[in-house]
Amino acid sequence: MVQVNRQPASNQPINLRFRFQKLGRLMYISHLDLVRTFSKIVIRSGLPLWFTEGFNPKPKMVFSPPLSIGVESKTEFLDLRLTERVDPAVALAAMGRNVTDELAMLEAYYPTHKLSDIRYLSYDIRIHTTGASQALAEACESSLLADHVPYLKKGKKGAPDTTIDLRPGIAQLSVCYEDGDLHMTAMLDADPCSFLNPDRLITVLKQTQGILSDPDLTREHVRILRKQALLADRTVFR
Amino acid sequence: MSETPNMASLLRTVEKPGRYIGGEYHQIIKDKSAVRCRFAFCFPDTYEIGMSNLGVRILYDVLNREEDIWCERVYAPWQDMRERMAEYHVPLTALESGDPVQDFDLVAFSLQYELCYTTALQMIRLSNLPLWAKDRTEDCPIIIGGGPCVYNSEPIADFFDLINIGEGEEVLLEIARLYMQMKQEGRYTRREFLHEAARTVEGVYVPSFYDVTYNEDGTIRAYTPLYDDIPTKIRKRIVKDLDAVPFPEKPILPYIETVHDRITLEVYRGCIRGCRFCQAGMVYRPIREKSPDTLCKNAKCLYENTGYDEISLISLSISDYSRLPELVDRLLDWTNDAHVSLSLPSLRIDSFSEELMKKTSAVRTGGITFAPEAGTQRLRDVINKNVTEEDLMRSVGIAFRGGKSNVKLYFMDGLPTETDEDILGIAELAKRVVGVYFKLSKPERPHGVGVTVSVSCFVPKPFTPFQWEKQDSFAELERKQALLKTAMTDKHVRYTYHDAKVSAIEAVFARGDRRLAPALALLVEEGAMLEAWEEYFDYDRFMDAFRRTGVDPDFYTTRGFGTDEVLPWDMIDIGVSKAFLLRERKRAYEEVTTPSCAESCSGCGANRLGGNNRWCK
Ligand code: SF4
Repeated sequence: MVQVNRQPASNQPINLRFRFQKLGRLMYISHLDLVRTFSKIVIRSGLPLWFTEGFNPKPKMVFSPPLSIGVESKTEFLDLRLTERVDPAVALAAMGRNVTDELAMLEAYYPTHKLSDIRYLSYDIRIHTTGASQALAEACESSLLADHVPYLKKGKKGAPDTTIDLRPGIAQLSVCYEDGDLHMTAMLDADPCSFLNPDRLITVLKQTQGILSDPDLTREHVRILRKQALLADRTVFR
Repeated sequence: MSETPNMASLLRTVEKPGRYIGGEYHQIIKDKSAVRCRFAFCFPDTYEIGMSNLGVRILYDVLNREEDIWCERVYAPWQDMRERMAEYHVPLTALESGDPVQDFDLVAFSLQYELCYTTALQMIRLSNLPLWAKDRTEDCPIIIGGGPCVYNSEPIADFFDLINIGEGEEVLLEIARLYMQMKQEGRYTRREFLHEAARTVEGVYVPSFYDVTYNEDGTIRAYTPLYDDIPTKIRKRIVKDLDAVPFPEKPILPYIETVHDRITLEVYRGCIRGCRFCQAGMVYRPIREKSPDTLCKNAKCLYENTGYDEISLISLSISDYSRLPELVDRLLDWTNDAHVSLSLPSLRIDSFSEELMKKTSAVRTGGITFAPEAGTQRLRDVINKNVTEEDLMRSVGIAFRGGKSNVKLYFMDGLPTETDEDILGIAELAKRVVGVYFKLSKPERPHGVGVTVSVSCFVPKPFTPFQWEKQDSFAELERKQALLKTAMTDKHVRYTYHDAKVSAIEAVFARGDRRLAPALALLVEEGAMLEAWEEYFDYDRFMDAFRRTGVDPDFYTTRGFGTDEVLPWDMIDIGVSKAFLLRERKRAYEEVTTPSCAESCSGCGANRLGGNNRWCK
């Protein structure tokens, strides 16, 4: 283990990026809990952490857009500020020792792009629903690629409900029928102001196509997996 | 999702699914075909509460250090999950393997407070196991009870196969070893096993082997062992040398936030004080300390293995640790640099110092808590609290000057010999604390002051000098609460009090005997669970169950017990003798205090248990 983290004289932090996955049971862990979990992982890693200044110093961490509960991912990013340069392979191993497989660390590198350059996120969505068929797959696809995809947004704290259009947030989408399931791939807007949560597509399909309506919770399920982050030109973000 | 539904397929529809997933870092997974004893450690409350319990963490570690034992965790499902489980016929399962509790060999419950009884019993039902011990068959696991409540386990005795009296580190291992040995030798039957455990393992109480008879007036006539080779009195087990005992170096790190989400460092067990209402102070005797060397090693190791940024020093009264300054200084040698804060949650009023406050994270938060327990010196002497008003005023002065603006004061009402003067004394004391603030000049004190007075109701607990006392009636407790309310006139003082109904129910189960079992069974059959939670506590349902099963709750509470009466817990030997408790009771009525073990030994009897300490004579 590297030594107990100390704040050295140098105050120019260096940004090291980690790509990690969040799979399986961890889909039930909220973003806030994930952040708390990482605040301990980075300490255990023994890496030379840069701490925020002020009354209550904390390691400085920045994450890619939060996943909502129930969504898994193969592409999450953590930017960690260090006080000195460390060999990325060494850093990757130091972090990797401190997580379970479901949270495996996949890559570490000194990045060129900023996390805020992420423009799209792509998802792989498997819907195990009664009534799945080629025809249903086509109907689902065309309802999400129509000119407007109305979505009823519940008003918070007594504010009136509003209908918003999800269509501008859908950059690419296809649905096919595969091994008895509906298989959707989608590239969705990831800009903080217009972020589209893939959950909402499922909600729309429940309402318009009647999928996932079996009252028996154990018979149907959806797996939503975030696969890639992309830049504005739709090339892969790293 | 799968043919046979399990808890995982129901997670999407419940609140806080993170409670049920397991898979945390440092969780222990073993090959189930390679172990010989599967041990389910159940905590009858939510994951968030249970994961914070240090005792469970220690025992999980001790058991899993053994190659042939696999210990897993089980927590109580919240109401929403319980409904789903019922709907889909999903039994209660353990977090690590996801296997049903009913498939385990040994199932232990940690019973921390009386109000968890309905939850523990409901968990037995959710595991599809017979509720009553007498109904369990050869293929059922052995159900074990332990924890502070079992010093009087009689109300739940008929539901448990075996009770572990005292600290579990050694006892549970011996039980598991005996189980494996008897299985291997092919001589295991439930009855044979329980008999041999009762006969050979010190600290084991098998309730079904003790017959209880009652007098005509309802008091207990006698406890009679069914075998003559099992003890008539079951002696509590303690760990003698805390420096030598294994300690959990790699605690499980929960993903979701738990109640005590930090490093907890157990500094010592027991207490040198003898507050006469306090059960913990008596049942954990004698005091056994860890050395600063061990603690410093433990702390560093826990920091490296967890990454927490806070270390909390745990004990009944941290300032009584004989080497506290040394420990704090040695920890501060590295904690400040590592941005780790220290907290000392159980500081006594008479030992609070400016130096300690500055060094520990007591400073970082805006508030501090003290426990004078009673409003007048007379009553503080009765309960042997051994702190004076000067101590309190000095300590709050330090706190205010140190920038604390909120002071919380804990009291109890319904104490033996209490008069209205003592009750009104609480308000007076609070006022004088506010006065200390205003006597300081503006630059000396923080901006604004708030004093919170929190009053709980006295419950006469087993194994205390007050075990024979009667509890104030519910009406009397409410009258006292109202009286105090009218006296709380200072606008800087906030007054909160505990629900007297809760204390009344706690007292019934703390002091009860086996005749309460039918009431508990009825409550559980009708769905009671998580009664320790305000939203699920139902006083009327308890009273109704008592009425329907012929229990008079007053018999256990407002009646008081005679000193010549056989008490429900008389077959347990906690070390501290009945003669000492009687002596202490007499001194209470004489308003005479008793010195702490550090000043002089009062011959309580706990020295008979052994244990490394410098005080017991
Ligand atoms: S034997 Fe004496 S020193 Fe030891 S716990 Fe009892 S009173 Fe205290």
